[in-house]
Amino acid sequence: MQQPQPALTIAGYSLDYLTPRGIHHALVDIDLTIARGEVVGLVGESGSGKTSLAWSIMRYLPGNARENDGRILLGQDDMRRMTPAGIEAIRGRRIGMVFQDPSTSLNPTLSLGIQLAEVLERHRGLTRRQAWAEGEAMLARVGLKDPAGMMRRYPHQASGGEKQRVVIAQAFACQPECILFDEPTTALDVITARQILDLFAELQAETGVASLYISHDLALVSRVAGRVAVLHHGKMVEQGPVGAVFGSPREDYTRRLVAAVPRPDRRLVDDLDPARMTAAPLVEARAVSVEYGRRSAIARLFGSDRAPVIGNRAVSLDVRPGEIVGVVGESGSGKSTLARALTGLNPFSGEIVFDGRPIRGLADMDGGYRRDVQIIFQHPDSSLNPRQRIGEILSRPLRLHERLSAAAEAARIGDLLEQVRLPAAHAARYPHQLSGGEKQRVAIARAFATAPRLVICDEITSALDVSVQAAVIELLLDLRRRHGTAYLFITHDLNLVRQIAHRVAVMYRGDLVELLDAQAFATGPTHPYTRSLVEAVPVPVG
Amino acid sequence: MTDLLRRLVRTPQGAAGLVLVGVVLLAVIVGPLLAPYDPEAMAPLLRYKGPGMTHLLGTDQYGRDILSRLLVGARATVVMAVLATLLGTLFGALLGTASAFLGGRADEAIMRTVDAIMSIPSLLFALLIVNLLGKSEVNALLAIGIAFTPGMARIARSVALAVRKQDYVNAAIARGEGSLHIVLREMLPNVVAPIVVETTIRVAFAVMLFATLSFLGLGTQPPAPEWGLMVAEARKYLNLSPWMLIWPSLAIAMVAIGFNLLGDGLRDALNPRT
Repeated sequence: MQQPQPALTIAGYSLDYLTPRGIHHALVDIDLTIARGEVVGLVGESGSGKTSLAWSIMRYLPGNARENDGRILLGQDDMRRMTPAGIEAIRGRRIGMVFQDPSTSLNPTLSLGIQLAEVLERHRGLTRRQAWAEGEAMLARVGLKDPAGMMRRYPHQASGGEKQRVVIAQAFACQPECILFDEPTTALDVITARQILDLFAELQAETGVASLYISHDLALVSRVAGRVAVLHHGKMVEQGPVGAVFGSPREDYTRRLVAAVPRPDRRLVDDLDPARMTAAPLVEARAVSVEYGRRSAIARLFGSDRAPVIGNRAVSLDVRPGEIVGVVGESGSGKSTLARALTGLNPFSGEIVFDGRPIRGLADMDGGYRRDVQIIFQHPDSSLNPRQRIGEILSRPLRLHERLSAAAEAARIGDLLEQVRLPAAHAARYPHQLSGGEKQRVAIARAFATAPRLVICDEITSALDVSVQAAVIELLLDLRRRHGTAYLFITHDLNLVRQIAHRVAVMYRGDLVELLDAQAFATGPTHPYTRSLVEAVPVPVG
Repeated sequence: MTDLLRRLVRTPQGAAGLVLVGVVLLAVIVGPLLAPYDPEAMAPLLRYKGPGMTHLLGTDQYGRDILSRLLVGARATVVMAVLATLLGTLFGALLGTASAFLGGRADEAIMRTVDAIMSIPSLLFALLIVNLLGKSEVNALLAIGIAFTPGMARIARSVALAVRKQDYVNAAIARGEGSLHIVLREMLPNVVAPIVVETTIRVAFAVMLFATLSFLGLGTQPPAPEWGLMVAEARKYLNLSPWMLIWPSLAIAMVAIGFNLLGDGLRDALNPRT
């Protein structure tokens, strides 16, 4: 019997982009097949061409794209020979796509039901009434409670996880042959992501659709995919069964990629000696509460008393000198709010004790406190002023806290850059001329310019690729060894936190639910929320 | 600076705008030297002439040479308009950015005041100010600058609100920078691009406002060869010689188009990402 025809075949496909700076090779000689019922994971760092590949399969490329004569076959049909009308008839019907962020992939002005029914009406020729009924059935199928009510809701009335379920229902609605998933859980928090993955596995087994699962998260891919393909600079580096590729990688690049994934069983820090464990805390938050929103004069006039949004509810936490305290929790749990309160970006109630000195409000945060407590933000793109050169960015903290001559200042900036392993010549560059990892290093250098005693890291690696993240973490630990700095390390990556934190604080909806030693966090968290959080985390590969 | 110029020339709008504004600037700087006649010399026998060999662009109702008047008048017209616009831009950008930075009640107070001022048409408002300050060229300049401020403040604030949320502003607050530094050095440079575009468009409006004020006898006084004043005076003689109206109008249009194109080009060139 002959081999069954694969659902999707890509053979010898290359894609270039014409840019003002010359030709950029986005994809080079790609070969990939996906059989019916198979899930192929596509991993690679940002800029490796993952999304370009997805869009070339969907036949939706920008005007400056140039392709070679490689083939993209959906079943037997050559997608590249189809007319635009033919492609339109195929999209959504024979091939579907699920995007990263459900809040931007749904139209905010249409109800979820209309958006779902539209697909069914267009591709399956149902009437509005039939499509609506079918849509309700689909929503029930993807595990949404009250599907009839959900059909009438608008995107802003649904949570991120619910929206992603609707998008998945949309993709599966016409029983397509192939669905592309572009990082479908990246924008969701850990527990919701886990539920979406379970749903995906279930639907996948039931419908036998061929799936291409794009992700930068190796652990995730090893959980959902049977085969995996590794992309690097547009080239297919390695392809094969997940166990083989991640377990015993043949290529050097794959090996480095796998090695960079945080593994909780490999601790990167020395555990503090008992003497320091009992040392007086460097900073102590005592019942710090933050409320957002102020009642406007009109609201007060009409006596409406809408409760303010709670950012933090009486959070008490301490960090000892040289200690790394991890703060984990899903998005909106108040992690960043706590960081902002500690750095004086939010008004708070309660008390912060820094080095024995009580601080009850923003007015108490003097130059000394500002110098000793520094914050590094998540996105270096937004935390570095795009119109200032790196040298100027680094000179600001120096000028605020010490008087230096121009020559001494330039030398210090050079030192700072060297400390974060960047060439001193970068001082003359603008942020947009650096890569994401380099920009985050500049942000780190700025935080360390004043020799702080506590650095608050607010999700500083979540916008970075795995290998860059590993290098940044290593740099942070190195700086800690040299300066004895304490870190308040906020992240949603539990594996990472278990690698580096001495203690872990778990936050949920503004409350600090638990503060545990690293060992206790791994072995036996007591709070049910912490337990479900730990269980939802994918086990690392390799 | 040379880098900016190179990027400006690379875009077609930037190059065209630069040429037009260059021509205007040339007239501003050396216009009086190039003028073939005295702009105020009357010649009763040569009135209402069309373009010809002796008077290239023709003559006006007193027989004065239009080309000479345009060349000499460039200084009064363009320089005043640009200065007034810059004044309005500066006030407006500072006010809008500071308002966005302060937020809360201060923001409400500033922006509601701006709204109130914006509800007065800019011409009426300029008239009011000139009447209060007394009629002179400098006061007209001041009046137009103040009249432009609210609009500019509104544009600057809308952009600055987005900038305010950026982490580099948070970083500056967290390290204890003063408000003045944050507004001037961190926020303002990132608000500049849309303001530059708006400024260049406003230059054309400023020329017209000046002309109107002059026409009403509150700005430049006749017989000064101000372009707007020339248009205003020529209106009465349209049936005798349309050229009197066409040439200064064309000159004003050229200033307007030139500055608009330059603004478009600058918007692209000022963005360090492109």
